[in-house]
Amino acid sequence: MLEVENLSVAYGGLAALREVSLAVRQGEFIAVVGPNGAGKTTLFKAISGTVPVRGGRILFEGQDLLTRPAANRAHLGIAHVPEGRRVFASLSVLENLEMGAWPEAGRKVFAETLDRIYALFPILSERRAQFAGTLSGGQQQMLAIGRALASRPRLLMLDEPSMGLSPVMADTIFDAIRELHHADGLTILLVEQRVAEALDACSRGYVLETGRIVLDGPVSELSTDRLRQAYLGM
Amino acid sequence: MNAAAFVEQAAQALTAGIMVGCVYGLLCVGLAFIFGIMRVINFAQGDFMMVGMYLAFYLATHVLGTTLLGDATPFVAAALTVPVLFIVGGGLHRLLIARTTGLRGVGLSAEGHQAQLILTLGIALVLQNGALILLGTSPHTVLTTLSSSAWELPLLYDDFSAVFINQARAIAAVLSVGVAFGLFLLVARTRLGKSLRAAADNPEAATYMGIDVDRAHRIAFAIGTAVAGLAGGIIVAYYPVQPFVGVDFIIIMYAGVVLGGMGSISGAFWGGMVIGLVQQLSTLVMPLQLQNAAIFAAFVLILLFRPQGLFGRNVERA
Repeated sequence: MLEVENLSVAYGGLAALREVSLAVRQGEFIAVVGPNGAGKTTLFKAISGTVPVRGGRILFEGQDLLTRPAANRAHLGIAHVPEGRRVFASLSVLENLEMGAWPEAGRKVFAETLDRIYALFPILSERRAQFAGTLSGGQQQMLAIGRALASRPRLLMLDEPSMGLSPVMADTIFDAIRELHHADGLTILLVEQRVAEALDACSRGYVLETGRIVLDGPVSELSTDRLRQAYLGM
Repeated sequence: MNAAAFVEQAAQALTAGIMVGCVYGLLCVGLAFIFGIMRVINFAQGDFMMVGMYLAFYLATHVLGTTLLGDATPFVAAALTVPVLFIVGGGLHRLLIARTTGLRGVGLSAEGHQAQLILTLGIALVLQNGALILLGTSPHTVLTTLSSSAWELPLLYDDFSAVFINQARAIAAVLSVGVAFGLFLLVARTRLGKSLRAAADNPEAATYMGIDVDRAHRIAFAIGTAVAGLAGGIIVAYYPVQPFVGVDFIIIMYAGVVLGGMGSISGAFWGGMVIGLVQQLSTLVMPLQLQNAAIFAAFVLILLFRPQGLFGRNVERA
């Protein structure tokens, strides 16, 4: 479904990603883990088109994403839940979800999707008329995920959904993500600093370190020892 | 001056204030699209209005003629400025403004505001001096029978006091309210309006939703320009146009938008209304020359007690 081939991104002269390759197949749950500054967010932004790419290719369902303008990529079926949530603070909760349904695919079945989103996160239904900026961090994360779902994506990309949340709230969010994968069969690409939770939920993982993939494989093969070695250098 | 005469004057000033306020309200709504919603500093807004005034003037006097349409001529001319200014605004945005707004603005210093300020100041100077070279300094206005006729509204406490309502101004006020309300609904209710707010609120996230942020900015800028043109076309039925007329109005527009609360269309309208009222009512107690001073005294006082503006809302979690 998604193939990233030898992707390189640099800010100024500073390399953020060096020849990164990864693949996500239909129905998979892939986690990309790694420490701060490893290039995880940059990887997502490159896929979504908000950072300039220096080299390599990104294919989504056979189409070359790099020839598509950034605003076009959501219409292809990619939903990006950005780091730090980035809800539309001055729009109501419901309006945020409506904006998520901007692509044609989501617009047509919005009423139906809305029921699913409210079933997954009942608090959003209660707060539908409230400004999104007045929600708590956890609720904003739920809204950011709901907003992404509203587009009826084929690939859901989640950038650090647990960031800044209490452990209890982070668990709630992870449960919801797991449910989206298992019950709705959504293909998910997750970036996380919380390695244990991320790898626990996913089917395959990649370890990203200073812009390079240093380890990849099924979760069973990414044994904790090898991971600890790659991740912490011990 | 006796009490009855003062009441008559006050009623007259209040009526004038409401009528002027409606038109200021529309002007502020136009700027609200550009400055209030998209947060683009536009110094040329008053000059877009000036262009609309000249365009409506020449359309009314040289193209349409008053024979066929009669008293409706200036308002038809004003309506015709809308598509022209919409295209002008959209074109200016595509060619120049877009280099300083949206996702590209994020990378610039002060989010592109400094670049916008200089750029639009440049556009303002070109428009002002271009008009000066091409059209000269003599003021023009579209005079119809409406401009010089008034409705007389008797005041009930005696037999001779009355408020006079200039017909051209009254129609201008009603049209302004109608258009402003339509634009309010556009922003509040329609998908397009919501996408404009989303694109302004968080351009990066809007892009992830599939919203073309550049296009949203262009539409907002074009609407703002067209509204300035329309308001100019309406005003020229009673206010003379000359190349620097925009300077008189740009301050009023910014004061109105800030007074009403950034980002709020209804707030911008009421901000304009407050300014119209203050301007007219101040003439009761102050010399005419001080009416703009009165506006800024009121402006400072209101912001002192409500820094977010009359209708500004706090949307961030405390």
